Amino acid sequence: MSSEPIERRVSYLGDRLRGTRCEICGKEYFEIRDYCGNCGRKSFGRMTYTDLFYEKGKLEVCTLINEPTNKFTKLGSYIYGIISFHDGKIRVPGRITDRMATCNEAVDFSALEGRDVVPRFRRRYSVDKSDVIPTISLAFTFADEYYPHQEYVIAKPKKEYDSPGIVGYGVYTSRFRIKEGNIERSVPFIDEDSITAAVEAGKLALIHSGVDSALVGKIYVGSESNPYAVKPIASKVAQVLKLGEEEEDMQSVDAVDTEFACKAATSMFKDATALVEYSKSNIKYAMVIGSDNSQAAPRDCPGGELDLFVGYGAAAFLFGKNDVIAEVEGWYSCTSDTPDFWRRDGEPHPMHGGRYTGDPAYFKHVRKSAKKLMERLKLQVGDIDYFVAHQPNVQFPVRIAKELGFKEEQYTPMLKVVKFGNTYSGASPVGLAAVLDIAKPDDRILVASYGSGAGSDAYSLITTSQILDKRKNQKLTVKYQTENPFLEYVDYTTYRRLKIGM
Amino acid sequence: MKVRPAIIAVGRTRFGEHYEKEPEKLIEEAWLRASAEADIERKSLEACYLSDYFLPITNKLGLEEGFLSELTELHAPMEVTRSFGSALSNACNAIQAGRYDLVLVGGIEKMTDRWDKIRDDLMLLEDPWSFYAGCTPEANHELMLRAYVKKYGIAGEKLEKLNVALAQVSVKNHLHATKNQCAQYQRKITVDQVLSARKEAGKPLGLYDYAPISDGAAALILTSEEMAKKYTDKPVYVLGSSSATDYLTYPARDDMTHFVVSRIAMKNALSMAGKSLTDMQVVELYDQSTVMEMVSLEDLGFCEPGKAWESIYKSCQDYKGYYEIGRKKLFVNINGGLKADGNPLGATGGAQIFEVVKQLKGEAGERQVENGEKLKCGCVLELEGFGTKGYVYVLGRD
Repeated sequence: MSSEPIERRVSYLGDRLRGTRCEICGKEYFEIRDYCGNCGRKSFGRMTYTDLFYEKGKLEVCTLINEPTNKFTKLGSYIYGIISFHDGKIRVPGRITDRMATCNEAVDFSALEGRDVVPRFRRRYSVDKSDVIPTISLAFTFADEYYPHQEYVIAKPKKEYDSPGIVGYGVYTSRFRIKEGNIERSVPFIDEDSITAAVEAGKLALIHSGVDSALVGKIYVGSESNPYAVKPIASKVAQVLKLGEEEEDMQSVDAVDTEFACKAATSMFKDATALVEYSKSNIKYAMVIGSDNSQAAPRDCPGGELDLFVGYGAAAFLFGKNDVIAEVEGWYSCTSDTPDFWRRDGEPHPMHGGRYTGDPAYFKHVRKSAKKLMERLKLQVGDIDYFVAHQPNVQFPVRIAKELGFKEEQYTPMLKVVKFGNTYSGASPVGLAAVLDIAKPDDRILVASYGSGAGSDAYSLITTSQILDKRKNQKLTVKYQTENPFLEYVDYTTYRRLKIGM
Repeated sequence: MKVRPAIIAVGRTRFGEHYEKEPEKLIEEAWLRASAEADIERKSLEACYLSDYFLPITNKLGLEEGFLSELTELHAPMEVTRSFGSALSNACNAIQAGRYDLVLVGGIEKMTDRWDKIRDDLMLLEDPWSFYAGCTPEANHELMLRAYVKKYGIAGEKLEKLNVALAQVSVKNHLHATKNQCAQYQRKITVDQVLSARKEAGKPLGLYDYAPISDGAAALILTSEEMAKKYTDKPVYVLGSSSATDYLTYPARDDMTHFVVSRIAMKNALSMAGKSLTDMQVVELYDQSTVMEMVSLEDLGFCEPGKAWESIYKSCQDYKGYYEIGRKKLFVNINGGLKADGNPLGATGGAQIFEVVKQLKGEAGERQVENGEKLKCGCVLELEGFGTKGYVYVLGRD
């Protein structure tokens, strides 16, 4: 859509499905209204917002669309229908997404109708490269398939900790995979990108933490595949997830994007930690998301060697001092100007610095940060239960883990590159999430990220007993996403098409 | 109605693709035919009401009134609305108020000039939220059918019959259009063709269930009852007229199986006309799809909710030119309906009025039903969007 004011209005209402409910008669509306048609003037001031974003709806009726309007042609064929919420009190139009359909397929509509669906945040339709990217949550997936419905229950904090740490996290990878040899990689659906993944991961982190989104005062999104050169992902995340108090269509939250290749997110862990620790900041919680639709040139082009490893996904971490599941014990970062991997402005794909990628880049920096942090905290390898490293492929993290003296059981749990591919800014965060999924209380985790360009951030985290309490809040765990029976595998051509997207 | 507006002349162009003609040429053609019928010079017109949906988009004509002024060399008041029904409503109000005595109502559309983009335009106009969610102009009709089937528990053999009945609607309308020189499709189709098009598309409705996109124009000249006899021996009166409005977002409406606007407008138009349903002999329905013709029969009250398909099915087993509903003949879409006559949005309502007027006057030629003599009364239903607005006109003669 070329009209930005219209885009702003549509995205405000449509990105996070919301409606209004009359306190007097209970009538509900999709869209925001000041009064109720039933109750008239007396209902002014007595309308409350309803939020459908975390709810599940029901697909009432549907049909197949195989000749979409022009803007939807890239989606091919899809199921479209009417979705009801609250026992039919609200009905909205909706497209079923995450479904690879073939033209003129025979669909049994009655088998789809009546099933529960979950709102998803997606690109709305295709636009020109220079246009604002339209997004919407009038896209749904079936709740009994890959993405289950999860309630967002805001819990009262039980305990305040002396030092801050992670209070919740979420990992989102798409339903689609490409499998080549021993490695499976997550592939975005055609209406997904790094923005939609960031929102999904953030949503899952909120659900896991039980923290009121209005208390989140800062959001950092690290990515190297933002579809915009100028326009933050973080502002979209803040609006869709309603981070900070909402006032006059604005969120009382500071939102910013960061970039440092694959360490754009981990770099901000310390900033988030420091921010919630600083009493004058008035920020109770800070969210950090690493999200990437990892870019790579096609296999036969310069830089195409990356195409063997790139994945798609995001991980979000919420930092605070209440109900902490993993306290931050300390950190160390190092940086040097090493041109091992870069993408020039305006270029669609990154380039790779050949011999710079291994020893002078990844190994040198990860080794330095991990060793230095262990030295500072006076830690031995045996004091650490899990080691997490950036994982651009399988060999690199295994080699550095071994070199540092870690045993297989210490580093294997984080190796998710074999399941999701290299999710760039999300790579070491996904590894950390995989470890948090299985860690016991009082486990020590050493994380060493890596960002080309180059630098590494090392963190030491110690889990608390509350890690077990919160586990029930998350159905979409890393394991769930790797072993889901609804995963759909695509061929190379489809993978490239989906990756380019709308 | 104290002052009954009278239609003294009607004119229209053929509907279809008119890529060689400017929109102005089309409306002129319709106007010339109407004016020739009543022997009226354009200088006598006191006001013009023009309807079009998309001329500013399809032909980059903003301020259509200016083009009309240039064409007619008139400086009379001119207003532009979307549907013909809306333009006629304004004209009727003006005549009844005694403001004018002679006005032109014209409708024009030239959709094929933008055939590759018009579905997007249509969808955005009809229902923006559904458009954003991925809807097409056809999908809402299919969803309505799905909702209808579920609501009335139609399954098995009954469902098969319903599907055939809907196909028969299309077949019947095509049959009617073979006698209409102005129709877009003057050819017969078969039930099998309709069914196999659905099967090919893998959807509840297929190509032959939908009205096409069209170019065309229609016009009529309206005056007061008092003045009418000066121009014609056989004026047709607007006995009742009414319109109603519903939510733009189809899924948000209370009833997903019917158009509340049709029901309300029909009820009010009948009461205004002092007529009952049984007085209606010829009916022009807005069959943008076969489903729309079916539900409109119920919305207007001719059939019980959930039952129209049965009457259609029975009538079409051995089709005699009309639907038999409760042992009564009802002539529906004699011009071929939107399906076969064509659907140039702004002019569509004009063609519907044109047909009822011609039938009531006994001037419908080959299409004439009941020799015209027995015909006294008919009605027209025109919808805007996907049932967002509904206009009903009850027309009658002396």
